[in-house]
Amino acid sequence: MSEPRPRLVALAGAVGLVLADSSIVVLALPEIYRDLDTGVAGVTWVLVSFNLVLALSAVPIAQLGRRVGPGRTAAVGLAVFAGAGVACGVASELGTLIAARCVQALGGAAAVTAALELLPANLGSERRAATVWAAAGATGAALGPAVGGLLTELVSWQSVFLIQAPLAIAAGVPVLAVARHEAATGVIASELRRTGRPHLLANLALAMTSAAIAAALFLLVLLLIEGWRLTPIGAAVVVTAMPLAAVLGSRLGSGVASAKARAAAGAILVAGGLGGLALLPKAEIVLTLPPQLLVGVGLSLVLSALTETALEGRSPQAIHGGWTIASRHLGVAIGLIALTPLFTADIAEQRRDAIASGTAVVLDSEVSPLLKLEVSQRLDDRLEEERGKVPTIGPAFEPLPEDPGEREEVVQLRDELQDQLDRGATHAFSPSFGLGAVIGLLALLPIGLARRVEL
Amino acid sequence: MVNVGRDWLLVAVAAVASLALVGAYLAAGGSSYAPAKVQDPCEPREWRDPGSLEEIAEQFSLSALDGAACELGVTRETLARALATPRARERFAERYGVSEAELARAIRAGLVRAVDDAERAGAIPPLIAGPLRETVRRIPLDQAIELVNDASGLLDEAQNFLGPAQGLLEQFLP
Repeated sequence: MSEPRPRLVALAGAVGLVLADSSIVVLALPEIYRDLDTGVAGVTWVLVSFNLVLALSAVPIAQLGRRVGPGRTAAVGLAVFAGAGVACGVASELGTLIAARCVQALGGAAAVTAALELLPANLGSERRAATVWAAAGATGAALGPAVGGLLTELVSWQSVFLIQAPLAIAAGVPVLAVARHEAATGVIASELRRTGRPHLLANLALAMTSAAIAAALFLLVLLLIEGWRLTPIGAAVVVTAMPLAAVLGSRLGSGVASAKARAAAGAILVAGGLGGLALLPKAEIVLTLPPQLLVGVGLSLVLSALTETALEGRSPQAIHGGWTIASRHLGVAIGLIALTPLFTADIAEQRRDAIASGTAVVLDSEVSPLLKLEVSQRLDDRLEEERGKVPTIGPAFEPLPEDPGEREEVVQLRDELQDQLDRGATHAFSPSFGLGAVIGLLALLPIGLARRVEL
Repeated sequence: MVNVGRDWLLVAVAAVASLALVGAYLAAGGSSYAPAKVQDPCEPREWRDPGSLEEIAEQFSLSALDGAACELGVTRETLARALATPRARERFAERYGVSEAELARAIRAGLVRAVDDAERAGAIPPLIAGPLRETVRRIPLDQAIELVNDASGLLDEAQNFLGPAQGLLEQFLP
């Protein structure tokens, strides 16, 4: 068997890698939908399919893993995850990509649930194992979008998937020794025991907060790239505020013993952050930072507290870990399925309104009559070129007039028009962020009831 | 006891931070966005006091756009963008199911409304408004679109024609 320390790092890394995968693709989605010639609603399934399959398969795979052995389950799971990652990277059609994502989720479910069974041997207690497992998952989920954005911009969207293969194999190598030991001793079947019921309220609260957090990550990225025209790398830098805040959140949480208080505070912060995103007064990046700080601190507090609650005193850990994975990722999938039609309809309507009012601003302006007609007409070409994105309307005003007075008027008009379009795009996301905030607040109900009604 | 206090403090800090953020963004106008209103093109639009040929031409163009947009049941803004290029016109025709003949009819109707509005605002005298109206009723589509985009040439010619005619009228009329 390999040394416990590398195996601990490998297992935590595997959990982080798989759970990062539920969000790593977020920043690559705009590139994917342009490359594979689909729409926002279609490409959302690249994300939804992974989360849905992970949710539905986590518990059955955890049960199967207990019969086969956690070492072998983790090793096979990571191998499947790596192979499916390569298939995602070479997919040239949306259907193939989604199918590969489903297989990847199956491998991921096996690796993550088996890791929870293997961690106590390295950490000495199930409680410590649960804490490390939850922290690795939360860190992976929070870091995912930023890493995905960097890879998309620096290399390609395919690299987001391809890079996972060597990482998964590296995480699987230290686990092979355990798998070989299981095969040699055949000790697994004798360890099977009756599974207790899952902690329903903690898992329900996990599902609800995960739906809200998915809304924050997914919608913020789309707002930054599609609404405010940032590059993936620019958006990645902006959303890095969330994982940084999550680190702060884990420090804050470490001083508070009550999981219920941490979960409640986390849910309130996630809801508050989403409320702030729903009420952005202007289309300015700096205004997204305070809401991201709240969501980041909140997600770290609430996810770790609820996961610990769901696992505490319950055995076997892998099965209950499977329930938490199922709850979290079902929440993410439901959140995305519910919010996508809402915001895609809103963004189309807001774009139409903003363009109409922007053209009205041009036509009613004081600039030279011929220029204003020409500009309002050039806008149509800009809109067509940008294909669904909120356009950068600067080129519609080029070349600027030579007369200094007229030039100033035109620049002022251009800025006013861009402001109209940006505010329209920002406003299009408000109902979805608002709904996410409501879901986050509703999670307080199961959190509040958790001690009174123990299920 | 100390631990219970710390637990509640964390929840209270979270609630205050969330309320402060939402309150600050509300106070900064976070919920006040509404797109600038687009006026109904069928409603009459006030002509600004025209001081030069260029301004008359602009108001004439905007009136013509209003009239044509009203006929087609679209906004003036949509039509202005549609008349940019032949390709934009094709996209517009496809999206709104408008044939070339219907577009021509609507633009001519818009030009007639522009002449009416200009006459009512005192920008062109009745003496030339009549012939101008008859001219725009027969104008081919491409020229009609050119006229919507820039009516200064036509209005200039009308004013040049009016110059001597007006002098003549002033001699005979009290």
